[in-house]
This record gives sequence, C-alpha cells and structure tokens, in this order.
Amino acid sequence: MLYQLSWTILFAPIAAFVVIIFGTRPWDLLSRPRVEAHTSEAEQHALPEKGAAGGVSHPATDHDDHTVHDNHGDQDHGADDDEDPKVAHISVGARVSSYVAMLVMAFACVYSWVLLVSTMSSNALQQGITVLSYNWLHVANIDYSIVFQIDQLGIAMLVVVTTISLMVMFYSQGYMENSAGYARFYSYLSLFVFSMLVIVFSQNFLVIFIGWELVGLSSYLLIGFWINKRSRPEEQRPSPAEASLQSFIMNRIGDVGFILGIMILFANTGSFDYKTILANVHTMNPNLLGVAMLLIFCGAIGKSAQFPLHTWLPSAMEGPTPVSALIHAATMVAAGVYMVARTFPLFSAAAPFALEVVASVGAFTAFFAATIALVQSDFKRVLAFSTISQLGYMFVGIGVSTPEIGVGPGMFHLFTHAFFKALLFLGAGSVLHALHHAMHKEVQDVRLMGGLASKMPITAITWLVAVLAISGFPGFSGFWSKEEIIGLALQQHHPVIYALTLVTAGLTAFYMLRAFILAFGGKGGKFGGLWGGPYRGYGEVHESPKTMTIPLIILAVFSIFAGYWTGFFSYVNVTGVHVPNLDFATLLADPFTWVGVVIAWIGLGFAWIVYGRYDLAKINQFVQSNALLRTLHRILFNRYYIDTFYNWLTQFVVLGIAGLAQWFDAHIVDGIVNGVAFGVTEAGKGARHIETGRVQSYMLGFFGGVAVLAVVVVILVSTVWK
Amino acid sequence: MLTLNHFLVLGAVLFCIRLYGAITKRNAVAVLMGIEIMLNAVNITMVGFSFFNTQVGQYSQRLTGQIFAIFIITVAAAEAAVALAMIIAIYRKRDTVDVGEIDMMKW
Repeated sequence: MLYQLSWTILFAPIAAFVVIIFGTRPWDLLSRPRVEAHTSEAEQHALPEKGAAGGVSHPATDHDDHTVHDNHGDQDHGADDDEDPKVAHISVGARVSSYVAMLVMAFACVYSWVLLVSTMSSNALQQGITVLSYNWLHVANIDYSIVFQIDQLGIAMLVVVTTISLMVMFYSQGYMENSAGYARFYSYLSLFVFSMLVIVFSQNFLVIFIGWELVGLSSYLLIGFWINKRSRPEEQRPSPAEASLQSFIMNRIGDVGFILGIMILFANTGSFDYKTILANVHTMNPNLLGVAMLLIFCGAIGKSAQFPLHTWLPSAMEGPTPVSALIHAATMVAAGVYMVARTFPLFSAAAPFALEVVASVGAFTAFFAATIALVQSDFKRVLAFSTISQLGYMFVGIGVSTPEIGVGPGMFHLFTHAFFKALLFLGAGSVLHALHHAMHKEVQDVRLMGGLASKMPITAITWLVAVLAISGFPGFSGFWSKEEIIGLALQQHHPVIYALTLVTAGLTAFYMLRAFILAFGGKGGKFGGLWGGPYRGYGEVHESPKTMTIPLIILAVFSIFAGYWTGFFSYVNVTGVHVPNLDFATLLADPFTWVGVVIAWIGLGFAWIVYGRYDLAKINQFVQSNALLRTLHRILFNRYYIDTFYNWLTQFVVLGIAGLAQWFDAHIVDGIVNGVAFGVTEAGKGARHIETGRVQSYMLGFFGGVAVLAVVVVILVSTVWK
Repeated sequence: MLTLNHFLVLGAVLFCIRLYGAITKRNAVAVLMGIEIMLNAVNITMVGFSFFNTQVGQYSQRLTGQIFAIFIITVAAAEAAVALAMIIAIYRKRDTVDVGEIDMMKW
C-alpha cells in the first residue's frame, strides 16, 4: 500500500502547478495595484537605451582573467533585469503560491524518504512494481501504455529530486524576493519537478520520452525566466532568452538520436517496455542493438551536456541561480545519467562498444570541461563546467561497469554530487544576492569578489564543505563516490580513462579551491589567504537571510554524510545479479585510492599557494608574460573556441544551406508556379486577339470549322468506317 | 429527268455563293440578304429530300421536310424583321451600316 500510493509523489507537483497557474497566480496578478503596474511598464520601455549604452567594451579575446575592473555593465539597479522595485513586497497571492509549491514538495520529499527508509534494509523493491498503468492506444496488437513504476533505483533518484527541489524552493523565497513573476517561478519549478519525476517513474521508453521533452520545455521556461534581460557581450554572456533557446535546440539535437534509438528498439522487439525489450533483445542483430544504444546515448549526451553538445549548460547560467542549482544537481542533467542507468542492462547487452563509448565520452568530457573551468572568471560558469566534468565521471562510472558491478558507482556519484552541487550553486546564489544588494547591479565576476568569508561566514563555510566534497577530500561524500569510479576504471583495465579521471580529479580540486579563494579569501586573509582578505568590489556586503542559509546548512550536512550509505550499490542494482557493496576498508587500504587523494591534495595545495599568497594582478602578470601560458589561457578562457566554432557553423554552414534552400524555393519552386501562371497569362493575352469583334470573321471561323469537320467525316467514312 | 441530286447541287451551290457573299460584303443589308438566301438554299434541299424520299411509302407521310421548310421560312421572316430593325438602329446611332466598322465587342 505504501508503495502502491507512491504515484501521489509524481502527481503532487503537477497539482501544485495547476493550483498556482489557475488559482493563486491570477490572485496575485489581480491583487496588484493597476496604476503602478502601468508605470513600471512604461519605465521598462524607457530605460533600455541607457543600459545598452553603458559598460566598457572589452574585446572578447582579450578578456582578462585576473585584472580587477569594476565598471562593466554599469546598468541601473533593476533596469537591466526583471527586478521590479515596485513589487518588493510580494502580494499575498504570490506568497501563497510559494507555500503551495513548498507544501506539496515537502509532502513528496517526506514520502520519498519514507519509501527509502522502508526499502533500505529489505531491498523489497529491487525489481520494481507498477504503480499506475493507463492504456493510451491499442493499434495493431501493440499496446502504447503509459506505465509508471517504482523501484529502488527510482527511489534513490526520488529522494535526490524531491530533497533538492524542496531546498531550492525554500531558498528561492529569499533569492527571488525582488524578482517579478514570483508566483510564476514557483509554478515553473513545480512543472520542472513533475517532468523529472515522470522520467524517474517511467517504466517504458514512451513515458521516459514524454518526461524527457517535458524537462526540455520546463528548463526552457526557467532558463529564460528573466525574459527582459539583455545579453552582455563584454562578459561573453548571452541573454536569458537566447540561452533558453540554445539549451532547447541543443537538447533537440540529442533527442533526434534518442527517438531514433527508441524506434529501432521498438521496430525490432515490438515493445517500449524496458523489461520486454531486454527479454527480446537477444533476437536483435548485435550491431543494430549497439547502434540503437548509441543513438539512445545521444539523448543522454544532449541532456547531460556531454561533449560535443555541452555548450548549452554554461549558457543556461543565465537563468535564476536556484534554477541552475536544480538543473545541475537534480533534475535536468541527472536525467541523462539516470536514463543510461535505467537502460544499463540494454547497454551491457550491446557490449562491449556501447558502454566503451559511454565511458570514453564521459572521461573525455570530464577532462575537457575541467581544463576550461580552470580559467573561467564567471563565478557560476566555473560551476557549470564543473558540473559537465562531474557528469563525465558519472558516465565513466556507468561505462566501465559490468553487470556484476551494476550502475552503483555512477549512480552513487550522481547521488552525492546532487547534494554538493546544489550546495555550490545555492552558495554562489547567496554570494550573488549579497553582492547585488551591495553594488546594486548583477555581479558574477570573481574579480569583483574576494574576502567575502569574513562578511558571510555561513555561506563561506558551507561552500568550503562543498569544495572539499567535490574535490574528493577524504571523509567527504565526493571522496567515496569519485574514488570508487576512478578505482573501477583501473580495475576494469581502462588505463587511458583511469589517467584522464585521475588528472581531472587534480584539476577539479584546483579550480574549485581557486574559485573559493577568489570569492571568499585572498592574499592577506587568515589561514594563508583561505579566509577573508581584501574585498575587490564596493558597497557593504551582508550575510544572506535565513531562508537562504538554512538550505545551505542542510545541504552541507548531506554533502558530508551522503557518502556513508554503504548499501547503495546493491540498493540501486537494476541487473538483478548480486553486486558487491561499497567497502570502506578495501577502498582505504587500496594504495591507488591514495594516489587519487594525493593528486587532489596537490591541486588543492597549488590553488591555495597561488591564490592565497599572491595578488590577482600578479598572477595575471605572470601568465601574460609567458607566451605559452598566455596562449593556453586564451584558448581555455574561450572554451576551446567551441562556442565560436558553433556560431561559425551556424552562421556559414547551417545558414548557408538554409540560404541555398531559400534560393531554391524562391527561384525554382516559386519559379515553376509563377512561370505556369505567367505562361497562361501571356497565352491568354495572345489568344484574345482572335476576338476581333467583326461578325464576318466569326462566321468564317464557324463555317471553316464545319467545312474541316465535313472533310474529316468524309475521309473517315470513305476509309475507316467503311 | 429531275433527280434528288439536282436539288442537292442547286442547294449547295446557292448556299456556297451566298456564304461567300455574307462573309465578304461590307454592307450589313447585303450580309443579311446572303443569310436569307442561305436559309432558302437549305429549304431547297429539305423539299428535295422530302419529295424524293422513297423509304416511306405514302406521300402524305413524307411531309417532315416540307414542314421544316415552312418553319424555316417563318423563322427567316422574323429574323429579317429583327435584323433590319437592328441595322436601322445602328445606322441611326453611327451613320454607317458597314459591318467592318461595327466591332465594338472586340478584345
């Protein structure tokens, strides 16, 4: 009964969405004073000129990591985004909207934890049960059913999704306080969670694809939430509208592969159901199965932002920061990993090359994104690339696995990563919120931060916990999950992947501590520059309100202790084979684990020494004075010019083809149509001269025709019809 | 010996001569005269067919052609009246009855 009713978790968020959209949001809108709304709109129309003219233009390539400059984007407070000073006090309707969403999410969260605790010891739901089934279509003896199931893999994911969502919603009370569309924001969040839960509960490919597209839609809505905000070319930042479009289109590219893969499987096995497909999969040509699984993996590449479809994720930073936390930790990018884990038996049936591709793409992306993150100056963008990198780890964890090990390592990293990545983003949001209040403009550049630890200690200490967790510092959750993956790569004889993940671990430690010191520490701070130091911005910075710090503290606790769930591997086991559990003693006794730890420490120590001891200007000077470092820095800072390349590709190749097609349409297709019309018109113009108006010419024509017919008849009579 | 062929040849020759006249004459009255005689040429053939039809036994049963001839004469009379009225009307309006100049309904 407890398990059967779990579909209420799935439908709770969509119910909240409906209530907010049709109930409390209209209430909020109607209760606002009309006149004020009108003036603020007039202001919005009047102000854009000012913002567009402001700002010192920096050529994109010369954009410099370590130089302090504080005059970019000097828009007026509230003029450049959807922040409306006139709605500072949120109306009752908006408040109620947020409470509806949070209450529903609290219910879902508690229910998920109850499910987790009740199944944890017994592993009762390892094979999963169907909780809701609806026969959508029945065509030609094939059922197209909407079926939702719950199993332990799903429950593990449920806990992550609902907990992070609850934290994000609670946090947004503070963060979105001054933003327009407060009620709308909560409705979108609910929709987003619902979409993700559809994926989590899916029992067949039909349902997961529906959830997949819903996630795409709701992320589009949320990334582009501040629809009036403009792009900032001097910071290489697109506008939210562009960013949302980019993420939507990038995901579509991956989805083409996904749906093709689903169709290949369906055509060959006659079912969408995971288990039925798995039962019939041996009848398929193994090469075809491999192709189908690679196509399905394309969907995961798009959704989980793996190379080469990763460029949407840094752009998605233009959404509100709580949304970034939700996208990066629990809902969107995790969907790709979850899908691969869910279909892992199919991937391993298509062995070996399907899983090898998964692992290789993951390892390459992990390394590739980590190198980019080394030099990024945008606070949120560092986190974006770290997410891409960590997702790469998860794919490595699944890719190097075998049915005897299961999806445990990859999913375990997803589980722990969700908590510390949410914490990192919410902490970053806390910093941005504080700086926004101090400088009265949006600041995301680490060069305008520094020494914030002494001003906002709770944010700093929780952020440090997350940094240590993501760096794999022994004892924190990230240590267990990450070392497990790295160790597994070596154990399964993938030396290249092992080396890449190992180096990435060092890079991760370096860039995360670098971001921490740039924001919270600096030369002259305590503990060798780790804590406090000179503040490079201006204005008075204060700690964020309690609505924002409480989720940080809760998530920090999770970031430490999520790694101590030793039964995780057998808990999420989808293959049914007995799998070994995470054994702390073996892991700690393995010397190779300590190789990874030492490399992470080297990264941490290097960042500490460089950024804690020296001024930004000095480091920058050193980098710029060395030709090799300067070139490397420029390449990395411009993200290997992949965005530039895609822009070029779009501009010249895609638009070129489009131009050719347009020319073909305008000149050939339209030419045929217009040509026929023109010909008929001209023929008519010529033919009307027969109409002379003279009676006698008509008469001549008439009798001439009769004469000709008569001649024809005579000939026919005398020859053919004889 | 008078045969059907004599009637037919006379009708055809008369028809063709007056057709030529109707097509070539400039004067509307002359064209009208041509048409009238074309009709009468047809009448000759009708009557000829009627008279020499040997398929049907009784003479009284061979009247179809003659009745048609009478119809055509009637219609021709009406036609002549209408056409002459039109010619007079056109003459009053345009001071001419040259059919070459009466071409207002061209393209």
